[in-house]
Amino acid sequence: MLILSLVEARPLHGYEISKLIERRSGGTVRFHAASLYPLLYRLERQGWIHGQWVEKSGQRRRRYYRLTRQGRKVLASQLRSWREFVAGVNRVTEPENA
Amino acid sequence: MPEWKPEIVRRLAALNLASAREAEIAEELAQHLEDRFQELLASGNTDDQAFRTAIEELKGEDLLARGLKPVEREIYREPLAPGRPTRSVFQGIGHDLRYAIRMLRKSPGFTAVAVLTLALGIGANTSIFSVVYAALLRQMPYRQPSRLITLAEVRQPTEQYWNASYPDYLDWKSQTKTLQSLAGFSGDGFVFHGGGEPQLLPGMQATASFFSTLGVKPMLGRDFVSAEELADGPRVAILTYHFWRTHFGGDANITGRTMKLDNKSVSIIGVLPREFEFVPAGNGEIWVPMHLTKDSGMRTRRNLRWMPVIGRLAEGVSPEQARAEMKTINARLAKSYPRENGQTQVLMVPLRDRLVGQVEPLLWTLFGAVGFVLLIACANVANLLMVRAVARRREFAIRAALGASRRRLIVQVLGESLMLAIAGGALGFLGAFWGTRLLITAIPQQLRDNMPYLADAHPNGVVLAFLCAVAVGTGVLFGLAPALQLSHHVTSDALKEETRASSGAIRTRLRDALVIVEIAFSLVLLAGAGLMVRSLGALLRRNPGFDTSNLLTFSVNLPVASYPKDPDDVQFDREFSDRLRNAPGVIAVANTSVVPLTGGGNTVRFVIEGQPVATGHEDECDIRDVSNSYFSALKIPLLAGRYFNDSADSANAPQHVIVNEAWVKTYVHGENPLGKRIKFTYSPTQKYREIVGVVANIADARLDSPEEPALFLPFAQDPNPFISYIVRALGNPEAPLGTVSELLRQQDPQLFPIQPVTMDNIIAQSPSVFLRRYPSYLIGSFAALALILAVIGLYGLIAHSVSLRTREMGIRIALGAQRRDLFRLVIGQGARLALIGVIIGIAAALGLARLIASLLYGVKGSDPLIFAAVAVALVVVSLLASYIPARRATRVDPIMALRDE
Repeated sequence: MLILSLVEARPLHGYEISKLIERRSGGTVRFHAASLYPLLYRLERQGWIHGQWVEKSGQRRRRYYRLTRQGRKVLASQLRSWREFVAGVNRVTEPENA
Repeated sequence: MPEWKPEIVRRLAALNLASAREAEIAEELAQHLEDRFQELLASGNTDDQAFRTAIEELKGEDLLARGLKPVEREIYREPLAPGRPTRSVFQGIGHDLRYAIRMLRKSPGFTAVAVLTLALGIGANTSIFSVVYAALLRQMPYRQPSRLITLAEVRQPTEQYWNASYPDYLDWKSQTKTLQSLAGFSGDGFVFHGGGEPQLLPGMQATASFFSTLGVKPMLGRDFVSAEELADGPRVAILTYHFWRTHFGGDANITGRTMKLDNKSVSIIGVLPREFEFVPAGNGEIWVPMHLTKDSGMRTRRNLRWMPVIGRLAEGVSPEQARAEMKTINARLAKSYPRENGQTQVLMVPLRDRLVGQVEPLLWTLFGAVGFVLLIACANVANLLMVRAVARRREFAIRAALGASRRRLIVQVLGESLMLAIAGGALGFLGAFWGTRLLITAIPQQLRDNMPYLADAHPNGVVLAFLCAVAVGTGVLFGLAPALQLSHHVTSDALKEETRASSGAIRTRLRDALVIVEIAFSLVLLAGAGLMVRSLGALLRRNPGFDTSNLLTFSVNLPVASYPKDPDDVQFDREFSDRLRNAPGVIAVANTSVVPLTGGGNTVRFVIEGQPVATGHEDECDIRDVSNSYFSALKIPLLAGRYFNDSADSANAPQHVIVNEAWVKTYVHGENPLGKRIKFTYSPTQKYREIVGVVANIADARLDSPEEPALFLPFAQDPNPFISYIVRALGNPEAPLGTVSELLRQQDPQLFPIQPVTMDNIIAQSPSVFLRRYPSYLIGSFAALALILAVIGLYGLIAHSVSLRTREMGIRIALGAQRRDLFRLVIGQGARLALIGVIIGIAAALGLARLIASLLYGVKGSDPLIFAAVAVALVVVSLLASYIPARRATRVDPIMALRDE
């Protein structure tokens, strides 16, 4: 879900993804290459994201991942259930009649 | 900059990834590590520190591989996984084909049998097709060949003659509007002095319009011009490509050079293109303008029909319009010349039909026959595949269970079939090179000369296209049935069924049907072969009416320059014949204007004294000039009167004729003809000639030609400078040839024997024999092939069904069935299929026999003897094929059979 939501805005390459996750989570969530890439390949294999080699002038080519149509649906439903889950948890943990 | 990739690749090694995928992953990860490395450097780390931190990303030696394993394995290591839904159609097919090859390589025995069977079928088909294409389908090498027609003057539209008289040709030419041009041609021959022995060269003469009518331009030099037509003799010549190459070394400056023909100097004005061919020219290599002396009858006589005529339809004119116009012109000529043209009509036939008409039914018959062989081969391979499919049911069931779609399974089975067909096609194509050669060399040389188009018969682009179509067609044909069958069956219960194979009813019926079809086709081929062999036998057994044994024939051409007058010819003949007759090994010597069984010869119109006929409506029959010794030398029986003899039939004696039996039957209706007198009507100076003898009929033009009425004149009274001799030898008919050459040379050094050939060879090489012998051999071999394939098919089916029914047999025995009953059960299965096949085959063969009626001789298409023999043979062979499996069925041990389950 994290990755899906990151590439929703714009296509990113693997290193960017790992940096963004690290930064946005304030350093609490960190993916090493050894676990990030198998995850990316699995998401790609499931058809939720699509990786594509892109060459920019003066740089080596990089593989950019973008969200697929199917991935967008999955993300929407995951976000929904996540929010429901979070809301549920909140309702349980909030002090009554606060 | 550190090298990341080796580090990564080392960690990926355990995964055994496809190299492309491995490189891709390595590149992406290396990029990542490099980014991390640069970032660490930027934040003040040393190279060494940065490297160590970056490599940390890979987390030890095996984390990466463990993470990737479940993902990558699935995607990239299983491209051949059968049945996985494909992302791309082509990728799927590629996989399926590779899978098919792997499966086929796993069972080399099956593959070899299937491929060889198909190669035989496809190779034989391609060979025959090469010949059919060259002879019938290819465009003739003329401009718009379909616009070319032939014109002939006949009395009955059924007559085969292709001749017209020169004066009529000229009138047609000047009057027609529907024909853009007309041309005539005729055979010719020259003594060619090209260094070494003089040789007789076959050549052709043609009107100046000939090549332009065909639409052929000389490759070098120029065409004839009309001023060159009708000279006393040829002054100019056009060479064929072949002759130019062989005799003049392909000299590019040939035009303007001269050569010596018949002791005359002739200048070469052109060379024909390489692809030029003209069937009636045979092996004629020199073309000269039509040369007719002023007073020659061929030039002046309207009733001397000797010249084949071709014409090209004018733009926008249909053949019907041209026919209608020629009819009008002909009616006009008949009115002006009732004596000559009163009864003739103009027959217009497309050029193509004239040129290949004779071999057309033969070739289509062979093509049909070989098609049957291929169908049988397909049926057999389909049968094999279906047997295999039974054994592979579990494989397919598993794949279906894993999610392979029905379409996917069909594609895969078809893929296997296609692979087999392609392999068979490739092998067949190689075979076709050899087969085509064999087909052509099996044609007697003399006949091959008349089929110049066959020089082109070899597997070419069109043939290759045909082959590919056939290979793919057969692949689909024999693959589709098993494929549908299999995918239909596979879906549900195959997994459970294990080996308990009560073979599915539909499959059994389909396999039965295939075997029935094979047997039916075999019967058709066997019957066809039988009919051809019987025709050939009948033809060869036909008594030609004369004794053909130990005969040598050859011709002598007396140059007009040395033998200017008729008596010179007679004088030469008398001396030469006497000397030859006395030579050792020679029993008899005769001469004739036409050697029997070689075809050709003249006809003459006549009236019988006391039987007046309207002018132009006289009867016409064959006429032959023969020596006095002709009938006795050939042993043609005398039925009445006498043979010719030297005293009563010399040059100055009263003119006499001998007639044959058919003549008596046709023209005097069986009355005694002796003493009757007849007169030829081609010239008013002709006198009545008395009939002095009646001889038996002989097969004249061809061995299969009907017995035609004929008149014989004594050579001495109607001599000709072109004399054909017939010598009866004591033993080997070729033995006297040396003596013949020697005697000729002694008598006149410029003479040599032309076309020496034995009568046995004439018969063996004659078209009538060829038209039966050739298909006899070919259809015979096809039939044998078909029979073998059908028997294998039947055997396979029965044997397989016995092996599937082992358990049933065991139960039957356990329940008390006698072994005899089981034997009968199995044999009965084979016999039933054979009988159904035979019945269908007989029906089909009776229908098809009508199509080859023109090739049959002395036997009806429905000959009961042949059909009975073939049917019995097939049933017997089928029973034999069922016998071995039946024996095996009786040996089933009930305990073993039941325990096996």
